[in-house]
Amino acid sequence: MNARSELVERVASRRRAELGSLSDAGYQELLEAVRGDVEHFIDSPEEEAFLLVAKAVERESAARDGEDLLDDNAFFEARTRRMARLSRDCDEALAIDPTCLDARLLHVLAQDQDPDTTLGPLLELEQTAIAQLGGSPMPADAWTDVRLRPLLRIKAAVSRSSFDSARYRLASEKGEEAIALSPSDVLGLRHTCALAYARLEDETAFDALDVRFSRQGSAWSHLGRAILLYKLGRMPAARRAISGYTRLVEGGAYALIKPILIDTYLPDRPEAAPLSFQEATLAVHEADPVICDVPDFVGWAQGIRDVWFSAQDFANRKGFDW
Amino acid sequence: MPFDAKWEDYQRMALRFAESLDGSEPLAVARAYAGFGRRFAQDRDSLPQTDADRAFHLVATATDLIDYQLPFATDEEAETIIPHAHRVLEEAISLDANCFDAIRMDEASRCPSFESYYVFLQEREPEVRAVCAQAREQAAKETGDSSTERLELACALATWPHLRWLAMMASKALICGRNRETLRFCNELLDLDLNDNAGARYTAALAYAKLEDEQGLDQLEARCRRLTQSSAGTDAWMLIARLALAHRKRDLPRARQLVSKLIELYPQAVVALARQRELPDGVFSRLAVPPFSEDELILALSEATVLTQEGRDSLGKGALGSWLLQESLAHATRAQLDELDDVIEGMGPLGTAFMGGAQ
Repeated sequence: MNARSELVERVASRRRAELGSLSDAGYQELLEAVRGDVEHFIDSPEEEAFLLVAKAVERESAARDGEDLLDDNAFFEARTRRMARLSRDCDEALAIDPTCLDARLLHVLAQDQDPDTTLGPLLELEQTAIAQLGGSPMPADAWTDVRLRPLLRIKAAVSRSSFDSARYRLASEKGEEAIALSPSDVLGLRHTCALAYARLEDETAFDALDVRFSRQGSAWSHLGRAILLYKLGRMPAARRAISGYTRLVEGGAYALIKPILIDTYLPDRPEAAPLSFQEATLAVHEADPVICDVPDFVGWAQGIRDVWFSAQDFANRKGFDW
Repeated sequence: MPFDAKWEDYQRMALRFAESLDGSEPLAVARAYAGFGRRFAQDRDSLPQTDADRAFHLVATATDLIDYQLPFATDEEAETIIPHAHRVLEEAISLDANCFDAIRMDEASRCPSFESYYVFLQEREPEVRAVCAQAREQAAKETGDSSTERLELACALATWPHLRWLAMMASKALICGRNRETLRFCNELLDLDLNDNAGARYTAALAYAKLEDEQGLDQLEARCRRLTQSSAGTDAWMLIARLALAHRKRDLPRARQLVSKLIELYPQAVVALARQRELPDGVFSRLAVPPFSEDELILALSEATVLTQEGRDSLGKGALGSWLLQESLAHATRAQLDELDDVIEGMGPLGTAFMGGAQ
């Protein structure tokens, strides 16, 4: 979540509404001015609360970066402190504006409970968000209205919590709802859907989704296809799919064989370049519950020559453990 | 009726014995029958039997060792039971190269992964199918002019090893995460055997729940109503499948109703639901346990770990598993909480509420 740039957009669009008619060039100028000193332009409890959210997200992310070298115990202690701090920051924002949806979303996530427990409050929050935003007209793509983005983030969190608590149909339903609201799918709910369809062995839905996004291909879709075909018992096709994943996703084989710990998304999935190694680590992390459900999948993949050598080669080039 | 190797051994011998008496005087037949039970139990070798019958007797012996003794054995005892069972199975195969039960059971312990065992079963299935079909034809021909009952039994005995083979494929496919494959095998089993001795309906219920396919589950239930012996929709597997679906749809009131239903129908259900024990699967076939017994629920829950253990959770019991544990503890009596002491302790902070109840 790039909270600061959203804050700039929120403030600038309010100013534009206040100023009445403003040319595109004028709006660009206004945007620049707000970007230069956003705090100076803040003029409502909503914006004040959102600024606190932006700061909390930045602080959280910076604290996270400092934890890379800690040992396990120190890491989990630091993580607990970081989550508690985020929760307090959200309380502060909510004291200023109790309707701040992003603060409420982050507050739920910062409680760091099992997905099965988190899902309840998230579903309630989704209803609150719909009630809060329902009055305003929906643009063709909700993402274009910065005020609607929290709803999309909440739906993404609901979809992921559903997925992580083994509710694959609910995960895909919520994902499809969000994609219908925002066909550009900036938050990438299609990735959660792809993994859910693979787990549900629903080839028709998996393909339809892939086609809707012009078969762009991502670490999730390539990995999901291999899992899907493996589950369906179509082994030659599954072998081709896992080789495809290995070839098209940088370090994909390595990420699958040597998965790394990825922390809770606060509030949404970190950015990663398409088909990059980082995307692969996210896809493998997200697919973990599904991979565990296919106990011999990774062993099978490792046994395929292309996959094994690609992982080894990637490790050698990057100086990673092998 | 689930498959029971000892009973099947008895049935085979009884059939062979009946065949041997064909053409005898009625009085002699009656006298011979009177002595059959004793001879079967004490002097088996004096009864007429083929090498295939001898091999099946060894299968029954191995089943008793692996499925009924081994799970309760100490490590020391296991060290003698396992090689003994292997020897027995190898002897069975040497007596009858088509003793598919023995081949299947022997291979189970040799395969390093679920996948490799599954592949083994898949590769040899066409052969098993063909040989069993041929044996069935042969049996039909040989018993053709005797009673229907005898004909049916002879045909069934010839087919059962293939049904068990398919049932094992279905249950391994489920463990391997291949739910559509599981359903393909289960549906074939339900077509082949109207009694569903293999309990394919149980495995199918779990697979439909895995696919979150409520319609499929409804159709299965309707189909099971037509089975000759069926508890139609109230058996533990079906109830757990429905419970998992309700939980997955986040219809928690419905899920709670189903927990109550299980507690109402099964003795000691609270403890079984909280503990969710994992038992080794029967190597011969699903263990034969009485319907609606505590053991049946324990068995069903053990098979349902593919459902309960899914998802991320801090207790390592899966999303549904953790929920079920907490729900069942809410139903527990003080004595049951005491009995579940170790489980509650393993829950960390989540268990605190229930520890209070135990004191």
